[in-house]
Amino acid sequence: MAERLDLTVDLGRGLRLRSPVLVASGTFGYGFDAPQVDRSALGAIVTKGTTLRPREGNVPNRIAETPSGMLNAIGLQNPGVDQVARVYAPVWASWNVPVIVNVAGDAIDEYVAVAQRLEGVPGIAALELNISCPNVANGLQFGVDPDQAAKLTSAVRAVTGLPLVVKLTPNVTDIVAIARAVEDAGADAVSAINTYVGMAIDVRRSRPVLSRGSGGLSGPAIKPLALHAVWQVAEAVRIPVIGVGGIMTPGDALEFLLAGAVAVQLGTVNYIRPQAAHEVHEGIAEYLQEHGLRDLRDLPIRSASVLAHA
Amino acid sequence: MSITVTPAVVVERSVPMAGAVELVVYHPPSAAAVVPGQFFQLAVGAPHTLLRRPYSAAWSDPKSGRLRFIFNVVGAGSAWLSARDEGAELDLLGPLGRGFELDGERPAVCIAGGLGVAVFPGVVQALVARGRTVTMLQGARTSAQLLPADRLPGADVRMATDDGSRGHHGSVVDLISGHFPPPFTGEGQGGGIDLFACGPTPMLQALIDTARRQGISLPSIQVALETPMGCGVGTCLGCAAPRGDGGYLLTCQDGPCVRADRIDWDRIEDHFHG
Repeated sequence: MAERLDLTVDLGRGLRLRSPVLVASGTFGYGFDAPQVDRSALGAIVTKGTTLRPREGNVPNRIAETPSGMLNAIGLQNPGVDQVARVYAPVWASWNVPVIVNVAGDAIDEYVAVAQRLEGVPGIAALELNISCPNVANGLQFGVDPDQAAKLTSAVRAVTGLPLVVKLTPNVTDIVAIARAVEDAGADAVSAINTYVGMAIDVRRSRPVLSRGSGGLSGPAIKPLALHAVWQVAEAVRIPVIGVGGIMTPGDALEFLLAGAVAVQLGTVNYIRPQAAHEVHEGIAEYLQEHGLRDLRDLPIRSASVLAHA
Repeated sequence: MSITVTPAVVVERSVPMAGAVELVVYHPPSAAAVVPGQFFQLAVGAPHTLLRRPYSAAWSDPKSGRLRFIFNVVGAGSAWLSARDEGAELDLLGPLGRGFELDGERPAVCIAGGLGVAVFPGVVQALVARGRTVTMLQGARTSAQLLPADRLPGADVRMATDDGSRGHHGSVVDLISGHFPPPFTGEGQGGGIDLFACGPTPMLQALIDTARRQGISLPSIQVALETPMGCGVGTCLGCAAPRGDGGYLLTCQDGPCVRADRIDWDRIEDHFHG
């Protein structure tokens, strides 16, 4: 009966995915490196954060494992948008999977320039604005202030006809205010959330494990936090919410879908189980079948029995 | 590159030297595919751990379908792996990265510090199989932490220990000038040697210093790098190592085995915890 299931997702502005399971920025490179993954079965690939100019990234050490999680401070190492547009996009155009370019920068002009460079380039399905990188100087500046977030979103909206996803940071007092601000500024969808700022200290050497001191925490350690953020945001905005944060299993993904996300991104798990996206897709399909549902839109989103939600 | 994600089976477990464990696993596709110096990402099931652990294959044998991993027990992940009994399944991802380039005519000198020796049984075997003269210089803190020479058949094995309990009392790098003095190693004089190295960063830096002093060209030295590792396949960018010409290379893709001239030895971090 699997053929009767409809797991497609509409993220707005014509961006229709065959699966609700995407791979998250920074965990799948530009789609060329992951072993043994059938790309065409993915909902979409979200690329590594891409900036106007190439970036070398941070001085090592860049990663550390923490309890049920990992810290990273890669520092947006990437080849720059020109390489992406000239070399990668033409290859993506021949792939049977949408590629969403994650866009990062230090200033509004830089984001705008990246979006302009990608405008009209075949092979690019959408942009995801990284307004929330914790690992570069000023990386968080746009993501923590509703006015700045809106200004950036509007500026990019003005120069791109592509679907525009904005990736929210959880390192804020009120994520809902940011989500509403970018919705009003023209975002077609939001992804929630990016990593939480954290750190680890090497006691033997009496210094932080990461050379930058702090980094972004990902993995199962943050899943309950991410889930709550998605729950809050999904209630507050009308645009689609893509849930991301520590998803390892189909059950994890279903939690996000039931919290109000229309799709999910898998991140850290890609490092550990390259087949995770397919396992999660299959698990979601099984769940729908077991519950007599044919469509993700039939999921009983946002259980009415939760009364005391703040 | 053929990559497999199918389970391997532990067929033997032993303690080759103090603090280390050797697992022999049965996994024909990996044993057939791996080149000495390549590594595998081993999934671990210890509570609250997450990432796979990168280990070089110590040795492999396509005929028996077996390969060996030698590692120190330093944390929850390696402790979990060290407790796998015969018959236990292991989830290997690999072989990954670039191995050593083993072809050549010149005498081959392998140099290992601490657990860096774990990569060499297979390297020595492959060099000997190519008819090359192989010297293995092995250093450790004490004699108990040396891999027994019978694990390195065909090589002239020389030892050094920090405490003098076996062989040369001092750094294994001293053995280079001791056994291969400058007139021999200098390019164009004695014909030179090819060096294969693995060990803690300070040892590798000392080796590079010695090489420069003795006129050993850096491209004739191949190093198996050790850095923290996330994905092992080039996507997380966590295993960056400073390039000699600026920027970074990725240990998992560009290495782990690289020519020494590609690395900026002044900028490389001391990550080695073995």
